[in-house]
This record gives sequence, C-alpha cells and structure tokens, in this order.
Amino acid sequence: MPERVGEPVIAPFGDAALLVTFGERADPDLTARAGALARLLDERRPASPAVGRAVPAHATVLVPFDPLAMDATAAAELVRHAVGTMTGASGSDAAGDLIDIPVRYGGSDGPDLEEVAERHGLSAADVIDLHAGARYRVLFLGFAPGFAYLGGLPDAIATPRRLSPRERVPAGSVGIAGEQTGVYPLSMPGGWNLIGRTDAVLFDPLRADPALLKPGSAVRFVPAR
Amino acid sequence: MILEALDGGLLTTVQDAGRPDWTHLGVPVGGPADPWALSVANLLAGNDPADAALELTLVGPRLVAREGGVLGLAGADLGARVVGGRRLEAGRSYRIAAGEELAFDGADGAGHGRALRGARAYVALAGGVDAPRVLGSRSTCLPGGFGGLDGRALRAGDQVRSGPSDRRPAADGLVWPIEDDATADAPRAPVTLRALPGAATGIGSLTGATWRVAAAADRVGVRLEGHDLPPDIGGEALTHGLPWGAIQIPPDGHPIILGPDHQTTGGYRVPAVAISADLPLVGQLRPGDEVRFVETDSDTAVRALRDQRDRLAAGAAALLEAAGWDRLAASAGG
Repeated sequence: MPERVGEPVIAPFGDAALLVTFGERADPDLTARAGALARLLDERRPASPAVGRAVPAHATVLVPFDPLAMDATAAAELVRHAVGTMTGASGSDAAGDLIDIPVRYGGSDGPDLEEVAERHGLSAADVIDLHAGARYRVLFLGFAPGFAYLGGLPDAIATPRRLSPRERVPAGSVGIAGEQTGVYPLSMPGGWNLIGRTDAVLFDPLRADPALLKPGSAVRFVPAR
Repeated sequence: MILEALDGGLLTTVQDAGRPDWTHLGVPVGGPADPWALSVANLLAGNDPADAALELTLVGPRLVAREGGVLGLAGADLGARVVGGRRLEAGRSYRIAAGEELAFDGADGAGHGRALRGARAYVALAGGVDAPRVLGSRSTCLPGGFGGLDGRALRAGDQVRSGPSDRRPAADGLVWPIEDDATADAPRAPVTLRALPGAATGIGSLTGATWRVAAAADRVGVRLEGHDLPPDIGGEALTHGLPWGAIQIPPDGHPIILGPDHQTTGGYRVPAVAISADLPLVGQLRPGDEVRFVETDSDTAVRALRDQRDRLAAGAAALLEAAGWDRLAASAGG
C-alpha cells in the first residue's frame, strides 16, 4: 500500500478502539507523526470525554473510545480532523529534553557486555564508547510501565535477543535486543543482552511525572563507576 | 469492616475501574477481569459499581472478620461459606459478624478447591476496600508492582478494611435479580465468544474450531490450545497498541486473549478482538474450559454492550427498591 503523507488508514480495532496506521515499517518520521497525533488527541480529550488515552507506537496510534457514548464513525471523524490539523512533525523534531542516564557498564551489572563485544569483533571499551556515544530518541512506551523503546542504536552493536531469556532481569538493567536498546524499569523476565545497569528510577507511580522517559525525549547514556 | 487474611488464596487482588489514562506510559489498564461481576458485588454492598473490591481466583482466601459488616458477593461460585456455619451464595449480600471466618475453597463442598463454573469471584465490602489511590486507581497492578495491597496479591496477615464512606446503609439479604452470563451456563458447556476482525487477516481460522483454555490463564491473558493454525495466521507484526480483548497469535500458533493486565503494546499479529460485552466471559474462563469464537459485526457488539449496561441499571434499580436506597440507580446507569 503506498503511504500518502497525511492520510493514515483509520480502522476499527474491536468495538471500543480505532487503530490509526501511518505505515507498515519502523521509521522515525512515521513514529514522530504517530506521537504528534497522540499528543494532539490527548490535548483534545477535555472536549471529547468519550475518547480514551491514545497509545502511539512505531507507525500507529491506538485510539480507545466509549462505544456507548460515541460510534466508531464519529471517532474516526474526530481522528481525521486531528490529522488534518497536524503540523509537519518529523523524526528530527526535538519534542523533549535531553536526559542523561548514568550507566555502570560491564561486570555483574552488564553480564553480556563481553559477549556482545566478541560477536562484533570489538573490545568491551569499544561497545561502551559506541553505546554511550550515540544520541537516542524515545519512540514510544510499552511492554512494561515506564519502558521506553529507544531509536538510534549504532548498527555496529545491534545484537539479536538471547536464545534463552533470563527469568529475572534486575531493575535498571540496560540491554540491547536487535536494533533496540532500552532500560528495564522493573525487575522482570527478559531476553535482552545486558551490557550495564543504572540507578536512575525509570518509573515511579508515586512521582507526579511517573515515567522518566517520554515519547520524544532525547536520551544519552553516560558511563559511571 | 476489617477482614484479616489467614491465607491469601491462589491470587486475590484489589480491583476497581483500573487505570485507562496511563496506557501511553506502558501501564496496563487493569481493573476487574470480569467487570460485570465487580459491578454486581459492589451494588449488592451498596457501593458505586466501580468501587474497589477483592477479586478472588479459583481458590479464594481464608478471611476472619476482625470487625463485622456487610459484603456483596458476585461472579464465580467458589464455595463461599462461613466456617462451621452458613453457605454464602454469589449474587447476594450478607452481614458478617466479628469473629466469623470466611472460606472460599470449593464449590462442590468436597474441598477440591475448584469452582464449578467460572474462575473469579468478587467480594465487595460496604464502603469499598480502603487502599491508597495510585495513578488514580486502587487496583493492584501486578505487572508494575504497585496499587492495591503494596502492588501484590493478598497474603496471610494482611488486613482488608472497608472505606470510610457509608453512602448507603448497608443491607444484608439482598438478592441480585439479573442473570449472570459468565457463570450461568451449565458446567463444561463450551463458551461462545463473539469477535470482530482485528488488525490482521485470519479471523476465519479462529472461528471454525473449538479451543481449550491452557494452564497459562491469568490476568495478562488466556492462552488457548487444541489446534494448529496455518503458519501465516500468527507471528510477528510491527509493534502497535492493543485493546483488552485482542486475540493475538504468537509464532507458535496458540492464540492469547488479552486480559486487563495485558501489555499496552505488542508485536504479534491480532486477527480478531473479542467484543466488550463478552469480556466478562473471558474473565471467567479457567484452564480446561472449551471456547468457540463466532464473528459478529460492530452494531451487534454495541447493542450487546448497551443491553448489558441496561440490565445492570435494571438490577441496581431493583436493589434500590429492595433496600430503600437512593442515588444507587443513577450511579449504575452512568
């Protein structure tokens, strides 16, 4: 399907949500558009209480609505109107602050660092330089409370998921899976290659602003010891 | 009312209407697996339909009343009884005296610890369950480890207290007058779930078969087995947002019906979504149950949901008359 800018596909997803699809691939520009639409819809919620919290992802926005208060056609019309008023967001627009995340790389904090280095014919120091030298962008949140999908991992250290997931990955672990890097906000099972760990609290439900990383935030990892 | 747990049961959590406003930060919507039954339990206890109550799973807790009060019971029959005393039926309100001990350990009275029909019972305390609001809700968020009782399931030693509010004088001996879809059918009859097409093709591959609920059935999702789907039906998709009730197919071909604690985004194909009116049925599925899907259309889905809301309001109105409460019907309808 050809992607025409400004004309996403808006389709019902069950009886209480729409899925708005900007494209079929992970692409920074599509992600930025999805994020911009989600923000716009959220800003308009006070005027449309039947519309729920929008959930952006790589190239889509999930738009929940109360089907007893609004039908799918009206919800789609509302989305279409919002799309029509979107300004040209792109992946290079900085929507958030720059957040530094201090990371203790390697050792027991990053048990897979050496393996990642060997796989790419690099030294552990090279992996740290590459990982900490890049600037990342939060694409969207999902998977677990406060978990941010980050774009911008250097290809040279992209590493497939571990074959057997760990039963328990400590909170704050910094990992690589495929072309993604991310931080586990809580202790949970996981299959990412763990290269370090941070003391930063990624998610605290009692904080006024519970998630440290939000869509659009720019992120840098800073080696710490 | 104060109930102290002598045993937490298999999985007992606090649930209210959940956290639909925090999904953009990866927080699951949460709330009751069977929203209908939570509402009924609350209405019987004189509460608002979405007040916080206890959700019990398959084998309930042992609770001793340190302070007496009225409670509403709804959902699956987990064999509730006062130890050494009377049987407590789902769909009724009861006054519990201080010192009485409650057990929920088996519908057949033989101590098998299994409900005859349905997986989850709801115990509403008049005044609601007192727990701090976290992100706008008292629900236990197990995936995030917060809310309810310190973000975890009930365990021995915990005290569950009713809220300070007594909006209505609690009345015991009330009987819920409306049939409960999710727990009404004869045991062992296949459960029919109505579904709409999802974000991927292939709903037809789900509707032809009878599925069996696998052992992996929890608040995150209910896994189905018993058939091999064509390989192109399942598998990975570009990660996108997911509604409660989405039926996702991982690469192994075993469908998962997402529950209230599902991840907010997912990367598997979703060929179908269960309709909202049938989510209570999903919440009452237990391992071994048989499930069939039928495809429906969105008009039917919305009609079914409206009908469910109207039946809840009718039940609330009947209780209002029986107990002489005011404001109850209005809040149930809204």
